[in-house]
Amino acid sequence: MVTGYFRRAYSSFVAHVLDIPPRLLALLLFLLLLSFPIVNPPSSTLLILTTASLLAIFAASWDLLVGRTGQISLGHALFFGIGTYATGLLSYHLNWPIWVTIPLSVLVGFLAAVLIGFPCLRVKGHYLALVTMAFPIILIGLILYFKNITRGDAGIWGLPKFFPFLPYKQQFIAEYYFTLLLLFASGIILYKIANSKTGMVMVSILDDELASKACGVNITKYKLMAFAISGIFASLAGSVNAHLLQVANLASLRVTLSFMVIVWTIFGGLGTIYGPIVGVYILQVLDQYVLTKIVDVPTPWRIIIYSAIVIVFVLKWPRGLARFVTDKQEDLEEARDIDERGPRIWRTYKKKEKK
Amino acid sequence: MHLLEVEKLTKRFGGLTAVNNVSFHVDEGEIVGIIGPNGSGKTTLFHLISGFLKSDSGTIKFKGENITGLAPHKIANKGIARTFQVVRPFRHLPVIANVMVALKSPRGAKKIEWIKTFERKAIDMLEDVGLTELMLEPAENVGHGDLKRLEMARALALEPDLLMLDEPFGGLNPLETDFLTKSIQRIHLDHPSRGIVIVEHKLYALMKIVKRVIVLHEGEKIAEGKPEEITKNKKVIEVYMGKAM
Repeated sequence: MVTGYFRRAYSSFVAHVLDIPPRLLALLLFLLLLSFPIVNPPSSTLLILTTASLLAIFAASWDLLVGRTGQISLGHALFFGIGTYATGLLSYHLNWPIWVTIPLSVLVGFLAAVLIGFPCLRVKGHYLALVTMAFPIILIGLILYFKNITRGDAGIWGLPKFFPFLPYKQQFIAEYYFTLLLLFASGIILYKIANSKTGMVMVSILDDELASKACGVNITKYKLMAFAISGIFASLAGSVNAHLLQVANLASLRVTLSFMVIVWTIFGGLGTIYGPIVGVYILQVLDQYVLTKIVDVPTPWRIIIYSAIVIVFVLKWPRGLARFVTDKQEDLEEARDIDERGPRIWRTYKKKEKK
Repeated sequence: MHLLEVEKLTKRFGGLTAVNNVSFHVDEGEIVGIIGPNGSGKTTLFHLISGFLKSDSGTIKFKGENITGLAPHKIANKGIARTFQVVRPFRHLPVIANVMVALKSPRGAKKIEWIKTFERKAIDMLEDVGLTELMLEPAENVGHGDLKRLEMARALALEPDLLMLDEPFGGLNPLETDFLTKSIQRIHLDHPSRGIVIVEHKLYALMKIVKRVIVLHEGEKIAEGKPEEITKNKKVIEVYMGKAM
């Protein structure tokens, strides 16, 4: 009886909630996030969402490179770390203001992506994944070697905040809105690129490089372009994150970050750009809020429960959350085309009447 | 001056000589067929001309210009478009976007007349091969025969001066073969200066279209001439049927 109730609730959810166009769903989510500070949450909760916005930019940038162009990167934290350290070093050594260092670190991220793109384009598939994995480790080695410039293990502390003129509590809200708008802008830009004619050529490279070449497409140019765009947004996320936490340390280059971005993207829907953004929000809130603040399980158990949930959902929705929603919508539309009895929910009611 | 001029082209894979000292030419507006048994080096020859493989020796000249060893996309932009023996569609893209990728290349973009939009041109290309109904279908849902035609639409989108078709009739049923034959003939009539090279196994379909045939055997050119002559050529019959007792 209980399962029957759940099944009916689920089919009602599918027929009513998933019937909204994806754009409207995205807008609703954005409005929900915009109005979130109204409930006056504690600063620590706000910080979770603020960080999630930046990680969402990071995940979307990975998605453009891997989901659209098919260039597997297992070391995407490199660009995040480059953004973090570029802004950190510039503020620490030169005392430049925050509005100068962030654009400059984005520029550094762009140059690094182009520079790294050249050797990476010589290899494909698994080998490319291995090569990209090496770069963050190389950078960690360099940072540890040049201790007197980078402060090595200790990291650079006390970076300037975004809104130092505001009272303490207001700062969190201002930062929350700032990152949310940043995510909104970057998300739209990345989505537009992915769905433009350039994005179409990128997908052709993912599908078949040889055929793409035969069509007269200069695939090196498009691969480099994908690397560069990805590097720009990843380093933007990294540099903003550094000022948010006021620290630039080796945590920004950690291997976990490179792999978490894969989890978020696969969970959200590879190649959709908006999927990973939603995926980051759901998984970060699950990890940092639900399993830490509400349930408060000890850390090893938290990781096990988190992984179990992710595995179950990836098995259930192998094409990701976003694709699951759009597939369901297509099913609904088809059902409507096939018979004119209306959405699926009506049909289930009608079946009941017959009995 | 010939449109395409291949001189003493040789390609070795280790000990195996796939293409051995092959020379031939294609003139403007000519349809040339390349035939030969399996493993005679037809596809390798195609790969060499379109730049996917580097030749060991010999030169390839296109409109008098030496294009030996150029990158594949540069050769495509010079005006040599090719299809593949095994279909290679962009499976994640809809059928029309497959053609649009070719239109996005420098040559494809340049060849769009000012009065046409990008989308209009893509639809026209699909019309040429009769695929407009499947326009918005993802390529992964499209059948093999339609994918063969899609390959051709994609090559035609580059408005090539030389069109190279690698086994266009492979895996098609008689009806589809007939349709494709007619589209090739129409393309030939619409663009009288375009050269077409066809590699094929199905001699019956091929002999109806082509004006000149080149026969390859074990990497070497053994005969060249009009279809009627080739079918009577003793050497060719020997290669295909085996020696008379």
